[in-house]
Amino acid sequence: MDAISTEGLTKHYTVGFWRPRPYAALDDLSLRVGTGEVFGFLGPNGAGKTTTLKLLMRLIFPTSGRAEILGRPPGDPDVARRIGYLPEQPYFYDYLTAEELLDYFGSLFGYGAAERRRRTSALLDEVGIGGERRLQLRKFSKGMLQRVGIAQALLNDPEVVFLDEPMSGLDPLGRREIRQLILQLRDRGCTVFFSSHVLADAEALCSRVAILAGGRLVASGALSDIHAFHVHGWELVVSGVGEPVLEQVRARGQALRVTRLADDRFALELPLTVAPERVLAELATHGGRLVSINPLRDTLEDFFVRQIAAAPKGGRMDRAS
Amino acid sequence: MHPGRPVLAIVVLLVLLGGAVGLQAVRERRPDLTPPQVSQSSLLYIRSGSVLQRAALSYDGLVADLYWIRALQHFGRTKLSTREGKQYDRLYPLLDLTTTLDPRFDIAYRFGAVFLAEAYPGGAGRPDDAIALLRKGLAQQPAKWQFAQDIGFVHYWWKHDYTEAAAWFRKAGQMPGAPNWLEPLAAVTLARGGNRASSRRLWQEVLATARVDAEWLRPQAEFRLAQLDAMDQIAAIERVIAAYRARVGDQPSTWADLIRTGFLRGVPRDPSGTPYAMNPYWGTVTLQPDSPLAPLPVEQAP
Amino acid sequence: MTFRVIGRVAVNVFKESVRDKVLYNLVVFAVLLIAASFLIGQLTAGQDVKIIKDLGLAAISIFGLLIAVFIGIGLVWKEVEKRSIYVILSKPIRRHEFVLGKYAGLVLTLTVNVVVMTAAFYGVLAVMHWKTDPAIRAAWSVSALDPHLLVAVLLILVELMLVTGIALFFSTFSSPFLSAVLTLGLWVIGHFNADLRNFDQVLASKPAIWLARGLYYVLPNFSAFDVKAQAVYGLPVAPGYVAFTSAYGVLYLAFVLGAAVTVFARRDFK
Repeated sequence: MDAISTEGLTKHYTVGFWRPRPYAALDDLSLRVGTGEVFGFLGPNGAGKTTTLKLLMRLIFPTSGRAEILGRPPGDPDVARRIGYLPEQPYFYDYLTAEELLDYFGSLFGYGAAERRRRTSALLDEVGIGGERRLQLRKFSKGMLQRVGIAQALLNDPEVVFLDEPMSGLDPLGRREIRQLILQLRDRGCTVFFSSHVLADAEALCSRVAILAGGRLVASGALSDIHAFHVHGWELVVSGVGEPVLEQVRARGQALRVTRLADDRFALELPLTVAPERVLAELATHGGRLVSINPLRDTLEDFFVRQIAAAPKGGRMDRAS
Repeated sequence: MHPGRPVLAIVVLLVLLGGAVGLQAVRERRPDLTPPQVSQSSLLYIRSGSVLQRAALSYDGLVADLYWIRALQHFGRTKLSTREGKQYDRLYPLLDLTTTLDPRFDIAYRFGAVFLAEAYPGGAGRPDDAIALLRKGLAQQPAKWQFAQDIGFVHYWWKHDYTEAAAWFRKAGQMPGAPNWLEPLAAVTLARGGNRASSRRLWQEVLATARVDAEWLRPQAEFRLAQLDAMDQIAAIERVIAAYRARVGDQPSTWADLIRTGFLRGVPRDPSGTPYAMNPYWGTVTLQPDSPLAPLPVEQAP
Repeated sequence: MTFRVIGRVAVNVFKESVRDKVLYNLVVFAVLLIAASFLIGQLTAGQDVKIIKDLGLAAISIFGLLIAVFIGIGLVWKEVEKRSIYVILSKPIRRHEFVLGKYAGLVLTLTVNVVVMTAAFYGVLAVMHWKTDPAIRAAWSVSALDPHLLVAVLLILVELMLVTGIALFFSTFSSPFLSAVLTLGLWVIGHFNADLRNFDQVLASKPAIWLARGLYYVLPNFSAFDVKAQAVYGLPVAPGYVAFTSAYGVLYLAFVLGAAVTVFARRDFK
């Protein structure tokens, strides 16, 4: 059974007061996320990521299509018991302390008082909220609210966690902590579905991704597949040979570019059609040594830009991602 | 996945609203369930206009309107009531409050005076209160000739005090902007007060001005003129009956006697279309009690 | 629907109102009443207890009204506006439980308020009672500690519950400002109900009379909850009247809350 699946999920909003016209925030999204996966939901702002998450949380209702979480429709109280959700830039009640907030949510899950105390204190430790837990949330910084948001999302040991832009607004240290947390969740067997417009996060964490642009799914699959598809050459770093030799290689069309690095090292960019072994063999006769060899491929950023450029564009008014 | 069509919810809601409306309808029919006459007791919860004016904060105009509506309701309700001994007791206090809150509420003075002066049971039968109200208006706006004219009316029509009426008509006529018929009217009133011709002239003048500046007075003037017409007709019919008696030697017992003998062409009807009533014993003619014109004003010799 | 979940939301609303210092109005109320009783005691003889009763009942009703309207309109709206609704609705709670919990919480706050205000009210009356010479007291037509006042307070509370429901209903789909205007508007119209009913004595046009009549039946009849004048004069209010009026209030409330839940359950939280 899939942890999350959607079929033709579509959400239209009506915009304009005098002449209402529909605008597609999300158009025909079909996705499957397997149990235990870390799934990256990527796209620029306004792509429809938050719309999808809100549809899955049943904060908004689809115009058409359907979704399932753990084999049940969203909004089912049994589903709510088994998932956690961190909205984008979460906000809670000013007048409650972090402890009271988690206690309140815990009571909605039906936990007894002792159980609530135990979970609250363990989770606040885990997300690194110490003495501030007795402070009213109005005094919390954005980063601390994000930590409280994560704590509440994990309150019920969820099987599936939905994180909407979990890294946004955090400093580098905070981002690293969230990454570690996601990996820990994965190791526990938890399915993590997170959205991001920062691609480095997904590269480091995800087994599979879906890329959304303009409300439409433009690509999805294992990260490695997408990368392999786009390997377009090799980068050789060599030392021990002089620039004239390398210029000859380039003049023969065996290298696209030669760049001088530090000391006597040079980087050669080879097209995919040239076997690196042959170039290396020739250089070796001139005393060259191999320092490193890397496949050249698009970063996710490149991929992103290309996919979005290819995506059909209408005269849409994007509100939120 | 959208929550289903809310048909069921709407049905349930309509049932609930229907229930509430039903209770309201039950309340309407059960006097013990009507709110404990809040409007009756708190209507005059504050009898002092100056206190109320302070309590109304800056909304005295609005509160004045409210009291004016209540005065109208009180008058209308009491007028339509068939109860014995009904009382217009709150009419003057309500009008007084209205005009204290809004001293330039002209229609409250003038219309209110009509209600107050009208003979009981059609009105409060209080010409003295009517005059007091109009005098209050005149104190606020000393140049308002209509108020003075109305005071003259009340004296003329309801108190039959023609000297006083003439004095007020003259006073009104001398005010700026007053119509030029007021002073001659004063002279006529003084000379031949109370006679039908001068009354007719009075109301014709009112009707003429009503067309211009006081549309609401028109029905009143037309009504009074119709009554005067009825009084003229009654006199004429009584002369016919006298002629019949002189010829036949006996009182006619029904209208049919008069019609058969050619004295009348049909059953005589008053200006409202209601047949006249005849007293066969005295040979007198009166309005039917249910005629809209009844009762006719009492005429006094000057 | 589970009452446990509704209860938790309600307790949270109560906690919020306490921490937002809503209950400070009780202090204002007490000071107002005590100061007024002192001043009026200096000014008038004989009528002072009546005036304090008028003032006390009016203050309970107006303070309650302000709380009901201005907190009632913010109850749901604030959660939507500040987006805290996103998290809570992802928990095992149904939307109607959320709305009803919010409502119950404000009614709890209001009840505590009214009870405390009534206690303070009777406290002031008790002091006036004991400080007055027994000979003068004997001349009072109604005792200062007349229990009839409680009937008026009870109906005020039922009225406030209905006002809160109406405020909540409007706030499920309109802005706080508009909700406040609409709620207060209904409250005012509901109190001038008798005038609406008797419009046929002022109006001539038939459609206008029907319209006034229709409004008289459909709009909440708030004037029925007002027995303040009776209570002050110690006149009995029939138990049947109180029961009937309360039943009317509860039925109307069920309608308003049902409408609020229906609207809220279908709303998109963009």
